[in-house]
Amino acid sequence: MAEKDVATTVDEKDYEHHLTWRGWLSFIVIALSFSGVLKDMGPLSAFDFTVLVGKFGKISDTFTFIGKGGIGASEGFMFALTLMPTVILALGFVRAVESQGALLAAERVIRPFLRPLMGLPGYVGLALISSFTTTDVGAVITRDLVEEGKITDDERTIFVAYQYAASGTLANTINCGAPLMPISLLSFGIIFMVEIIVKIIGANIVRFYLMFRRKKAGGAA
Amino acid sequence: MAEAAAKRKTLLEEFMAGCKKGFYIGVENIMPAMVLAYALILFLNLTGLMDLIATAVAPVMALFGLPGGAIVALISAFFAKAAGAATAASLYAEGIINAAQATILFPATITMGTLVGHFARCVLTSGANPKHHALLLAIPIIDALLSMIIVRVILNLMGISC
Repeated sequence: MAEKDVATTVDEKDYEHHLTWRGWLSFIVIALSFSGVLKDMGPLSAFDFTVLVGKFGKISDTFTFIGKGGIGASEGFMFALTLMPTVILALGFVRAVESQGALLAAERVIRPFLRPLMGLPGYVGLALISSFTTTDVGAVITRDLVEEGKITDDERTIFVAYQYAASGTLANTINCGAPLMPISLLSFGIIFMVEIIVKIIGANIVRFYLMFRRKKAGGAA
Repeated sequence: MAEAAAKRKTLLEEFMAGCKKGFYIGVENIMPAMVLAYALILFLNLTGLMDLIATAVAPVMALFGLPGGAIVALISAFFAKAAGAATAASLYAEGIINAAQATILFPATITMGTLVGHFARCVLTSGANPKHHALLLAIPIIDALLSMIIVRVILNLMGISC
């Protein structure tokens, strides 16, 4: 089976490097759009991601073009076709807001919470934000941070525990999770939040394990 | 040409580039995973292996509000996130799990997905202390189990029993 996930490698991008109002605006728009909160709000529903994806027409008022009763690889193929609009639109949005500096806005929001939530210094903010859309960039920045002496070996272990689970969380939930999106009873935003919460819990398991070990080692010395 | 490449892309161009990437991801990643998953589930059903696996793991899966057959999605996820989610979708299409159970599996397949592949790309690349590698390998699985419990609780709070 393919072990390579999608969108976890970098392609050359020339994005905004300074946080501007455009960054904040694009961050707020994408957060609202994916959260599903605007879905039933009249004209505002035009901003909701799933509303914009729309739906396929029906053939003789009953079935969509994939029909009914398909099985095996053929059905898998047809089902994959039905997911294309979602993935295409989602990646278009993500890339558009990324180019406006939405990730920089997200970093600004997250930075103050790093210490209380995971015991990590603000330096890791950028790597953490990169890890939303890629696996490799976050990992490479993390290695550099240790080599530059900005974070300790233990902090790296905690941070890697966060990054490793559901790595490239945003990109992979959209790309890999696409087949479950039309079935899921919870909006994309909630599924994404659940993933982030368990990632933080996972990092804390490592954090307290390391703390416990240090205490034990300190007591013995 | 070179001049055009040096210029920053407009918002519309970025959007279109993202859409194009989405199309290729659909063709190169999602479609193969879906074809594999649907063929695999059909194979397991026809051979009767699905029933055997489902019965064996049913008690454990019941803790998470899932039928035994749902384990197939988690096993697929172990190899690749996309395969895990695609398998869960095909289990739903086969009627083995319902929509609530598919929702429970959603964050789990992503969280613990591609466990080995990302061990190399995340844990090894970051140079994490080898002393803690075993612990790090266990973390995504623990996270995935937690996510299933959290989603189940959320669904129950919404009045959906599962």
